[in-house]
Amino acid sequence: MRARFFFVVIAAVSGSLLHAQRPPARDTLAPTGLREPPAIRTIAVDQRLIAREGVQLGDTLTLRSAPTADRANARAQRVVIGAVTAREADPSEVARSEYRVRLHLDQLQSLIDYGDRVDRIAVQLHPGRDATRAAARINAAAFGFRAHRSRDIAVTAGRTFQVVERFHTAIGVITIVASAVFLLCILLLKVDERKRDVAALRLMGLSRATVARALTLEAAAVALIGSVLGAVLGSAIALAVNWYYQRAYDTPLVFAFITRDTVLLATALSLVLGVLAGLGAAWRLVRTPPLALFGR
Amino acid sequence: MTAVVLDAEQVERTYAQAERGARGVTAVRGVSLRVHAGEYVALVGPSGCGKSTMLNLLGAIDVPTAGRVLLDGIDVRTLGDREATRLRLERVGFVFQRFYLMPTLTAAENVELPMAEAGVARRERASRARELLGYVGLGDRADHRPAQLSGGEQQRVAIARALANRPALVLADEPTGELDAATGDDIIALFERLNADGTTLVVVTHDERLATAARRVVHMKDGRIVDDRVVRPLLGRTA
Repeated sequence: MRARFFFVVIAAVSGSLLHAQRPPARDTLAPTGLREPPAIRTIAVDQRLIAREGVQLGDTLTLRSAPTADRANARAQRVVIGAVTAREADPSEVARSEYRVRLHLDQLQSLIDYGDRVDRIAVQLHPGRDATRAAARINAAAFGFRAHRSRDIAVTAGRTFQVVERFHTAIGVITIVASAVFLLCILLLKVDERKRDVAALRLMGLSRATVARALTLEAAAVALIGSVLGAVLGSAIALAVNWYYQRAYDTPLVFAFITRDTVLLATALSLVLGVLAGLGAAWRLVRTPPLALFGR
Repeated sequence: MTAVVLDAEQVERTYAQAERGARGVTAVRGVSLRVHAGEYVALVGPSGCGKSTMLNLLGAIDVPTAGRVLLDGIDVRTLGDREATRLRLERVGFVFQRFYLMPTLTAAENVELPMAEAGVARRERASRARELLGYVGLGDRADHRPAQLSGGEQQRVAIARALANRPALVLADEPTGELDAATGDDIIALFERLNADGTTLVVVTHDERLATAARRVVHMKDGRIVDDRVVRPLLGRTA
């Protein structure tokens, strides 16, 4: 069994670990004869730290409350790796490069000499329980605490994401407008290079309506095929982006994804734009005399 | 005597100039030309002599500024765009120098196109398209797209397309212009066969071989007909 030293950068205490701190029921969890907590406590370690340091479950570590330089003044604890934690899909965690270990609350307080104090406690309710009432009861009963619903905290913390979302919407609108102009130009060019074909069709006796319908259908088909290709390409790029950033940040967070609604919206928009562009181009062509289209 | 398919009387076509006050350019000056059913007429002459303009007038593509053109007895000047389009669809077959086949359609579908516009039933037009492609020697290429066909084959598809609605008249503008000599000979032979089978042909050409194959050769110069000669008379056909 190897022993390593760690400086605790951040220690997070979760509700579930608070539960774990309770003495186990004698008849169920505690082995016979084991009345006191074990001399060496267990901690949960970030899997990235496990990978970097080459340690494993069951290894004994020494945690210190200060970096190596201040070792003389630092408090130390010997602990055993009892669990491995993976990063959650949390956007606020992505850019953090620190490693986290999770300790029992009293263990953490002892290590950092924080005394019998906590700043924040997360309380997990049973499913279906009213969070508002629970928060109100805590606020009424406990002096010195202020309970908030996680939803209210999320609103405050989510302002950044609202700004990011507006930014994404702006990018989306600009992309759609630019794509529409691009599509229109492509279709005008495509129709323009077909003007002799159109002239020949008109000379052969095909009516303006038939020619306009054919050109519009062709434009719609081009738009439809383009949107399908775009959706496939977008999905492939999203896969590549997720693969790269999930590896780079070691997180299960999904950075880019294409939903069915996105595909439907893109296809519908593209189809409408394609039909309009096709109609515009066709209208321009069929109103031009066939001989003029031939350049005579 | 066979029926008159085309009758141009003192036809003139003058194009207005863009500049204000400038005199127009007269491409065709007082031309009269009568074409009977079953004739094979070659319209020849130097570039700019007005033969393509004449072909446009004969095919109801353009209207004369003076004189009149009767196509199958109908004065094209009296027709609006819609009626002229319908007349071309039903009475005239066009063969162009550059084929103008629709690239996304097969040979058979290209031939079916004018029939579909004319309202011919799907089964009937499919059958006729195969028959016409067989006639021009492309029975086995019906399902090929234009890109899969040689220039000569594409022109033969275009000829089959021109015949789709059983037109009274086929007009061809330099039909061998894009083809090599050997392929051009095949098209010339096909035109001779078409005419022998009763199709009325008017061909504008620079190709001496094609002009030689015609029964009647009309020479134009400076917008006028300077020579109109029957080189091989029609035999054994009546109206």
